[in-house]
Amino acid sequence: MTKIGFPSALITALRLMLGVLFIMSGYEKLMDLKFFALIIAEYQILPTFLISAIALLFSLCELLCGTMLLIDLFSRFSSSVMLCMMVIFIAAMINNVMRGLDHDCGCFKFLSQWYGLKEEIGIVPVVRDILFFILLLPIASFGSNRVPWKKDQK
Amino acid sequence: MPLHIKSGKPLRRKLFTTVIILLSSISPSLSQLHAAASVALAKEESGELDLSATKALFDTHSACFVDARSEYVYYKSHITGAISLSDSRFEEQFPDFRHNKAIETLIVVYCKEPSCGMARHVAKKLMKNGYRNVRVFSGGLIEWAHAGFPMEG
Repeated sequence: MTKIGFPSALITALRLMLGVLFIMSGYEKLMDLKFFALIIAEYQILPTFLISAIALLFSLCELLCGTMLLIDLFSRFSSSVMLCMMVIFIAAMINNVMRGLDHDCGCFKFLSQWYGLKEEIGIVPVVRDILFFILLLPIASFGSNRVPWKKDQK
Repeated sequence: MPLHIKSGKPLRRKLFTTVIILLSSISPSLSQLHAAASVALAKEESGELDLSATKALFDTHSACFVDARSEYVYYKSHITGAISLSDSRFEEQFPDFRHNKAIETLIVVYCKEPSCGMARHVAKKLMKNGYRNVRVFSGGLIEWAHAGFPMEG
């Protein structure tokens, strides 16, 4: 049986691109955690007592997984964590769109500031997160789970 | 307390708008004034405040300002001293508000702009919960900011 390979240069490019993106996103959220928590509250999914903890958890996850992707430390594991987070974000946004709620998605504020991308929940952020999900898949499937400073690892 | 808003100047304004409406039925050139006057009259009757009346209440500290927009928007900027009581999370925020504000407090509710509607929803909810002195600043934060009035956040 032949194993289907995936160009390692492409995996590296995806890893670096998504790593930087998640580091910036996580850092931005950690810098103004209260703002991010208030956006999570607007989704009206979680009980109030959980909101601050979830805001901290999501921001830290993004920052740590982004760093791990960037330095290629347990890339497969960190991209799998980010895949789970993308599924949560996409489901939460679709849920709110279907309920007719209208608010910021709390995704990538810096992207909306730099490129004028829409930050309100709707079809654009959902498609964007689906795109990130698709880009994370090759890393989760074909990426390495190595520790970069240890030699003789596959 | 809200009596001083309803008497004096607003009464003259009401008379003026009524005269405009009557005149506009005779002269078509006054039809634009007619429309504006009708809106003004409707606002007066529904208890909505214009910018100058709102600023007067703000300056005399005689009203509690309530921001009906989402909390995360309020967090970034709001009228100085305003309290957040968002339309979307009213049920969660109201118990705290009820605990701190007496039922007879004069409340001015605002949102982003005249068309946003959240201020009117929150005003209705407040009245349902027993608050009688509730007014809406229909111009919203955009009109307030354009006038250069105090904001924080």
